[in-house]
Amino acid sequence: MTAAIALFVFGAVTAALSLQLPLGTPRMPGTGLFPLVLGVMLMGLAATQAVRLYLARPKPAQPATGAAAAPLPKRDGATQRVVLFMGAVVVATALLPTLGYPLTSFLLMLALLRVLGVRKPHVAGAIALGSAIACYVVFVKWLMIPLPSGWLGF
Amino acid sequence: MLESLQYLVSGFAVAATAQNLAYCLIGAIVGTLVGILPGLGPIAGIALLIPATFGLNPTSALIMLAGIYYGAMYGGSTTSILINVPGETASVITCIDGYKMAQQGRAGPALAISALGSFIAGTIAIFGLVLIAPPLAAAALAFGPPEFASLMVFGFVVLSNVTGTSLIKALMMAVVGLIIGTIGLDPVTGNERFTFGSAYLLGGIEFVAVAIGVFGLGEVLVNAAKPAGQLEGRVLVPRFRDLYPSLADLKRAIGAILRGTGIGFGIGLVPGPAPVIATYASYTVEKRLSKHPQEFGNGAIEGVAGPESANNAATQSAFIPLFVLGIPFGPVTAILLGALLIHGVTPGPLLIAEHPQLFWAVVASMYIGNFILLLLNLPFVPLFANMLRVPKKVLLPLVMLFCVTGMFSVNNSILDIWMMLAFGALGYILRGWAYEGAPLLLGLVLGPKLEVAFRQSVMISHGDFGIFVERPVSLGLLVATLLFLVYPLVKLAWRALHRKPVAPAAQGDAQ
Repeated sequence: MTAAIALFVFGAVTAALSLQLPLGTPRMPGTGLFPLVLGVMLMGLAATQAVRLYLARPKPAQPATGAAAAPLPKRDGATQRVVLFMGAVVVATALLPTLGYPLTSFLLMLALLRVLGVRKPHVAGAIALGSAIACYVVFVKWLMIPLPSGWLGF
Repeated sequence: MLESLQYLVSGFAVAATAQNLAYCLIGAIVGTLVGILPGLGPIAGIALLIPATFGLNPTSALIMLAGIYYGAMYGGSTTSILINVPGETASVITCIDGYKMAQQGRAGPALAISALGSFIAGTIAIFGLVLIAPPLAAAALAFGPPEFASLMVFGFVVLSNVTGTSLIKALMMAVVGLIIGTIGLDPVTGNERFTFGSAYLLGGIEFVAVAIGVFGLGEVLVNAAKPAGQLEGRVLVPRFRDLYPSLADLKRAIGAILRGTGIGFGIGLVPGPAPVIATYASYTVEKRLSKHPQEFGNGAIEGVAGPESANNAATQSAFIPLFVLGIPFGPVTAILLGALLIHGVTPGPLLIAEHPQLFWAVVASMYIGNFILLLLNLPFVPLFANMLRVPKKVLLPLVMLFCVTGMFSVNNSILDIWMMLAFGALGYILRGWAYEGAPLLLGLVLGPKLEVAFRQSVMISHGDFGIFVERPVSLGLLVATLLFLVYPLVKLAWRALHRKPVAPAAQGDAQ
C-alpha cells in the first residue's frame, strides 16, 4: 500500500508541476501536456492498485493464544548492513573530490569489506590496497579517466 | 538474399580486423564474467562498459557491447549448473535440471551441452537476422510517427504484461520511467521542464545512472542485505576431461536445441524480456514433448539444452527490432540504443542503408563472437568456474567500486554518482516492494521518442487524434495493445465465473 500511495503522490506532483508549463493546443501540444497525461495516468494506476490492495486485504487474524502465538520475525541485521553499506558509499562520494580517487577507493573498499564481514584487518587492508591500486592503474593510467586526484595530487 | 550475403562478407572483412577481433574477444570475456558473477547482470555490465567505448568508433563499440550481451547468456548457465545460482535472469530455469545434473556428477555434460546449444542457437539466429532485417527495414520505411507511437505503446503494454507478476505494477513503472524521461529540455520546443533551475538537469536524467543504479547497485544492495553465511555457496568445478557429453546425451539434446532456437528466435522479435520468457517457453515445450517427463526436475539434459539455446536465439533476434525499427523491446537493448545514440548512430529503418558497414560488421562479429564463446565456455569453463570461489564479501565491494568509477567516467561528474546512488536506493526499495526495474528503464529511454512521435502525429493531423486509428498498421498495433490490456481482466473474470480457488497473493504484491 505504501508504494501505491507514494506513486500516487509522485503522479500528483508531476501533474501539478505540468500545469505550470504551457499545455498548448491539440494542434500544437505544449511542453506540459505529455507529462500531465503521464502524471494523471500514474495517479489512476496507483489509485486502482491501492483500491485493489484494500479490497484484497487479509481479514483480521484471530488473537493468538499461548504456545500457538506466531514467533516474531528474526532480526538478521539486513537493514543495518544495507544502511552501513550505502552510508559508506555516500561518505566516499562526498570525500572523493577532497581525498582523491586512490585514497577514497582504498578507504571505501576497507569500509565495505568490514560491513560485509571481513574481520581480519590485514586481509581487508591487503584486498583494499590491491583493489585501489588495480583500479587506479586501469581507470586513471590506462583508460585516462580524469578522476579527482585530491590531496595526494595523483 | 544474395545482396545480404555479399554485405555479410564485407561485414566479415571489417569485423575480422585485429582491432575489432580484440573488442569482440573483450566483449565475450566480459560478458561471460558478467553472466557468471551473480550481482552483475548484462544491463549493469553494459552500462558500466559504455564509458570505456567513448574512444572507439561506433562499430567497434557496438561489437564489444553486443558481445557482453550474448556473452552473458553463455556465462549465466555456468553458475546455474555449478552452484544453483543464476548469474542472470535468463538462466534461472537452467538451475532446475542443470544443478541436478551437477549433483549427479554430470556437471561437465551439462556445461558442454549448454555451450554447444548456445552456439548452434546463436549461429542459426544470426542467420535469421541476416534474412529478416533488410526486408523488415524496407517495410518499416513506410512507418510514420503514428505507427511508431503505437508500436512503442504496444511495446510498453506487452513488456508490462510479461514482466513480473502484476500488469498494473509494471505499467506504473513504465509510466514512472516515461515521467523521468521528460526531465530536461522539451525535445520539440526546447523549453525547460522540471529542471528547477539546475543546469545539470537540463540534459535530462543520465540513463546510465538509472541503469547502473537500479540494476547494478540495487542488486549489490540486495546481496549485501544477506547475512555473511548466506553469501557463499559450494562450487562444483568440473575437470576438463569430464566435459564431453556422451552420444546419447547429444541425441537427446539436439531436438531440444533446435526447438529452443525456433522458440527463442520468435520470442526475441516481440516486446518483453525475450531471453527470460524464451527459456520458460522452451522448458515447458520440452517437458510436454518428452517421452520421459518425470526426469524433468531430476537432471534431464533437454531441460538444459532447450532453455539455454532459447535464450541465445532470443538475444540475437532481439537485435532485429532495435536495428530496423530503432525501438528496443527489452531493457538490455534499451541500454544498447542509448549507447548507439551516444556514438551518434540512430537505429531505425535507415540504419542498414546509412550505416551498412556498422550493421553488417556487427552481424559478422556475432558469428565470430559465438565461436569465441564456444571456445571460452568449453576448455576454459573450469577457469571461469574458479572465479566463483571469489567470496561475495570481496566481490560486492569491488562491484560497488566499479559502479562508482564507471559512473563518474560517463561525464566526469560527481553529480552522476549521486544520481546513481539515488536510483540505487530506489532500485533496492522497488525490489522490496516487488516492482520491476525493466519497464522503468525502457520508459526512460523510449520516453522522448514516444513524446516526439505522439506530438508529430498530432501536428500532422492538425489536432485530430483519429490519425492513430485511421492508419492500418497503427490501428492493428493499438487493437493488439487493447487485447493485451483486456486479457488479464478476461482471465480474472473467467476464474471468478468458474470459482477456481485463488492462490494467496505473493508477499511483494502487498505493495
